[in-house]
Amino acid sequence: MDQRLIRNFSIIAHIDHGKSTLADRILQATGAVSEREMRDQVLDSMELERERGITIKAQAVRVHYTAADGETYQLNLIDTPGHVDFSYEVSRSLAACEGALLVVDASQGIEAQTLANAYLAIEGDLELIPVLNKIDLPAADPDLHARAIAELIGEDPERVLRISAKTGQGVPDVLEAIVARVPPPSGDPDAPTRALIFDSVYDQYRGVVAFVRVVDGSFRRGERLVSMRAGLAFEAEEVGVMSPAMTPTGELGAGESGYLVTGLKRIGDVRVGDTLTLAARPAAEALPGYQEAKPMVFCGLFPVDADDYPDLRDALEKLSLNDASLQWEPETSQALGFGFRCGFLGLLHMDIVRERLEREYDLELLATTPNVEYRVTDTQGQEIAVRSPAELPPPTRIARIEEPYVRCTVLVPSEFVGAVMGLCQDRRGAFVTMEPIEQRQQVVYDLPLAEIVLDFYDQLKSRTRGYASLDYEVVGYRESPLVRLDILLAGDTVDALSTIVHRDLAYQRGKGLVERLHKTIPRQLFEVPIQAAVGGKILARETVKAKRKDVLAKCYGGDISRKRKLLERQKEGKKRMKQVGSVEVPQEAFLSVLEIGGDGRGGGR
Amino acid sequence: MSPGVRHLYVHLPFCASRCGYCAFVVETGALDRRDAYADAVLAELRLEERRLGALETVYLGGGTPTLMRPRRLARLMEAIRPRLAPGAEVSVEANPETVDGRALRALRAMGVTRLSLGVQSFQPHVLAALDRAATPDQARRAIACARAAGFADLSVDLIFGVPGQSPADLEADLQEVLALGPDHVSWYELELKPGSALARRGADLPDEDAVADAYAGIVEGLEAAGYRWYETANFARPGHECGHSLAYWGAADYLGLGVGAVSTVAGRRWRNAPGLERHIAALAAGHAPPRTEEALGADDRRRERWMLGLRLEGGVPLAWLGPPDRPEALARLEAAGLLVREGDGVALTRAGRFVQNAVLHELMEYA
Repeated sequence: MDQRLIRNFSIIAHIDHGKSTLADRILQATGAVSEREMRDQVLDSMELERERGITIKAQAVRVHYTAADGETYQLNLIDTPGHVDFSYEVSRSLAACEGALLVVDASQGIEAQTLANAYLAIEGDLELIPVLNKIDLPAADPDLHARAIAELIGEDPERVLRISAKTGQGVPDVLEAIVARVPPPSGDPDAPTRALIFDSVYDQYRGVVAFVRVVDGSFRRGERLVSMRAGLAFEAEEVGVMSPAMTPTGELGAGESGYLVTGLKRIGDVRVGDTLTLAARPAAEALPGYQEAKPMVFCGLFPVDADDYPDLRDALEKLSLNDASLQWEPETSQALGFGFRCGFLGLLHMDIVRERLEREYDLELLATTPNVEYRVTDTQGQEIAVRSPAELPPPTRIARIEEPYVRCTVLVPSEFVGAVMGLCQDRRGAFVTMEPIEQRQQVVYDLPLAEIVLDFYDQLKSRTRGYASLDYEVVGYRESPLVRLDILLAGDTVDALSTIVHRDLAYQRGKGLVERLHKTIPRQLFEVPIQAAVGGKILARETVKAKRKDVLAKCYGGDISRKRKLLERQKEGKKRMKQVGSVEVPQEAFLSVLEIGGDGRGGGR
Repeated sequence: MSPGVRHLYVHLPFCASRCGYCAFVVETGALDRRDAYADAVLAELRLEERRLGALETVYLGGGTPTLMRPRRLARLMEAIRPRLAPGAEVSVEANPETVDGRALRALRAMGVTRLSLGVQSFQPHVLAALDRAATPDQARRAIACARAAGFADLSVDLIFGVPGQSPADLEADLQEVLALGPDHVSWYELELKPGSALARRGADLPDEDAVADAYAGIVEGLEAAGYRWYETANFARPGHECGHSLAYWGAADYLGLGVGAVSTVAGRRWRNAPGLERHIAALAAGHAPPRTEEALGADDRRRERWMLGLRLEGGVPLAWLGPPDRPEALARLEAAGLLVREGDGVALTRAGRFVQNAVLHELMEYA
C-alpha cells in the first residue's frame, strides 16, 4: 500500500461526547459495516464497555474511503479509552497515529480529561482536527465553543468542524478533513522492519493477539519475528486488519496498523510498547516505547465463601491474560481469610475488574478499602513499600512516611468553584492555580492520591451537580504524618477495616466510620461494640444492640416445612455476611469505609 | 408395627371475607360448595382411614370452620367419632361473629371439647387495621356463650405488632383477656406474609424494640395471672394446653384432610393443593386430591425437631432432638444465659425464647 494513501488517526473525546457514535458513523459511511450489522458502539466489544458506555481496550479498525480527489484512502481508526484510569492506553494509541479528532460536545464544551489528552496529542506532534459534535441539540452553542477550542489548541475557529454524529450531518467533512489534514505516515518501507505493539488481547483459541503499527518495513504471515526489548522470538501465525472483524491480509506494510496472531500463551510475553522486528533482518534500534502502566490503587479481594478461593485465583489468572496492568498476589486477612491483594490503574479499573470477576466468573467478593502505595522509611533507614494498612510497621519503628500526590485539574462552571475548593481543602489539597477556560474555571490542586481513591469523584460530581470534570496526574511522593486507623468489632481489630489516614483527620474519619458501620451491621445475638482506635487509643465508639426478638411467631402442622425453609432462607442471608470473629458483618460494611463525604456509596461511577 | 396416626387436622376453608393479614388457603364467596366440600372431606377420610390409629386429638381449623354450620360439622364428627380415643381432644376454631349460643351448644353436643375463638384484639381500630369483621362486643358475647354452652377448654387468639397498635391498646387487650379469663391464650406477633393484603398495602410494622416490649409485656402479664408460657406464642392454665398443637411441637405424625392441608406420616410429608373445585372433583371421582409431596431427610427431621422442641417451655430431651450441627455452641449459649441443660434436657431460658431463631442458627445449619 502506498503510504501516501494511509491515514492513522484516533478520536479523543470525553465520555458521552459522542466518540463511539462518530466511530460508528465513520464505519457506516465507508461501508465497513452494513446497516444490518450496525449496532450501537460497534467498537466497544466487551459487554461491560457497552453497558457503561466507555472504552477500555484500544483497538484499530481499518476502513477504505474514496475521497473527493478520487483517490481511495486506507483509514486506520485507533480507538482510545476515555477515562483517566486508562490514560496510559491513550498515549499508546496516540503514538500509533499521525492525527486525532478532538470531539467536543457543542453544548458542554471541553472537559478536563479531553484537554489533557489533546495536549498529549499535541506533544506527540499529532495533527488535531477539532470537531464540535451534537450541533443538533437545542442547547448547542457551536460559535462559543469553536472559539474556545480554537484558542486552547492554537487553531483557526473556522477550521473547527461542526457535526452531528447522531444525524450524520457533517460526517463527510470529517472524512475529508482526515484525508486532507492528517499527514500520511513517513516510515521507510525498505528499512528493516519495526512495528510498535500498542495493545494486545488474549484469545482463548489463538493465544496472544498483538495490535501493531508498522513504522518501517513490513512483515508477512509465517515470518519469524523478534520482540526487541523482551528478546522473544515467535512466528506470525496470522496477519490482518480489523475491518471491524478480524480479516487476514497476509501482510502489513509500513504505515499500516493491524493485528498479529502470535501463538504465545501469556499476555506478559507480548509487552505493549515493545518493538517487533524480523528475525531474518533485525532493526538496529527499537522504537521509543511507553512507560509501563503502574498500578496506583491496591485493595484486597476476598471470596465471600472461602471455598471459592481457588476459583478466584483461576479467574484472576484468566483476567490477567487480557489485562497486563492488573497485578495480584496472595494475601491473608485475619478477618476475611485467604484472598488476593490486587493492584489497579485506578478506581474505575478496580471497579471493572471486580465487576467482571463477579459477573463473568460468578464469584461473590469482598473488596477491602483501596490503598495507595506508601513509602515508609523505618528507624533503621530502610525503605518499605506499604500497600495495605496491615503492612504498616508500628509507629515506633517508623522514621517517616511518604505518600503519592497527584495534581488534580478540575474544570467547573464558576458558581461551583467554592464547592470544589471546599472539597479539595477537606481532602488535604494544596491550591496550585486557577484560571478561566471558556465559560468555566480550571482549578488546580495538589492532593494526596489516597484522598482521590475514596469517594472524591462521587463527591465532586454531587457537589457540582455533575458539572465538574476531573483529570489528574501523579506528581511524586511527599511526606505526611499518617497513622493507621483501626476498627474493633466486639473488641477485636478487624484488619480488613483498617485504613491509613492523616493524623489530624483520624478522629473525624474514625467517628464517621463507626457511625456508618453502626448503621450497616445488623443486630446480633450479642451486642457488638464498634470502636475506632489509633495505636490502641479509642477515638470513637458505638454499640449495636443485641437482638431482642427473633422468633417465628407461629408454627403448626401446616407451617413446619415453610418455617424450616424460612430458617434456610435466613441462613442464605447470613451467608452473604462475613463471619468476623463472633460478629456477622454484611458486605456493605466493608464498602462503608470508602465513603467519607456522607451521601452515596463510594467507589462506584 | 406403627400404632397409626393419632392426630387429625381438617381444613375448612370457607370465609366470609379475607382478613388483611391472611395468606392461608381460604375460599370466599363459595358458600354454595359447602355440602360438596363436606362430601370431599369424608371421601378423603375414607381414603386415608387405614393410616389412622385411635385419635387423641382432632382439630377443625380454617378458614372459618363455623361457617360450615353445625349441620355439616355434625356430619364430619359422625364419621370421626368412631376413631376417637377415650378422652380425646376435639378443637374447633371459630370467629366470634359466626357463633351464637345455639351453634355453640350444638358443637358441644356433637363432641367438640375445645373452642378456639379468633378475637385478635378488643380495640376497634386494631380490628379495622386487620380487616376483622367482628366487633369487640361480639367477641365478649361469644366468650360468654361458650362458657354458657359448657366449654371448659376455651382459647382466644390475639395479635400484637399491628401497625397503629399502641402500648396502651395492647395493655387494654391484656386487661380484657385477664378479665374474661379464657383457659388458653394464643398471642401471635403479626407477620407480613407475602400474598396478604397488608403486605400488598406495604404496611409499616413496628420496630424490633417496640415489638419486643409488647411481647415481653404480654408474657409478664399472662404469667402474673397464672398462665404458663408453655410455647413461644401460647399460654395456658395448667392442664389446658392444646394437645393437638403439642403433637406438632413434638414432631408427631398427623394426617391433614381438606384443601391445602398438610400431612406428615412415617417420614413423608404431603400437601393437598389449593383449588377448591379440583379438590372436590378428584375426591368425587374417588381419587386422592392433587398433592405435592416433599422428601424429608433425616437431617430435615432433626432440624425440625430443634426448631419445634425449643419452642416449648420445659425443653426436650437431647436424645430426642438428636445432635446439633454445632455441638460446641451449646456451652457458649449456656454461658450466655440463653439456654439451659438439665440432665438430658435442653431448654431455652426466658431470654433465649425471645431470640429462638438466632439461637437455632448458632446450633444448626439450616441449609
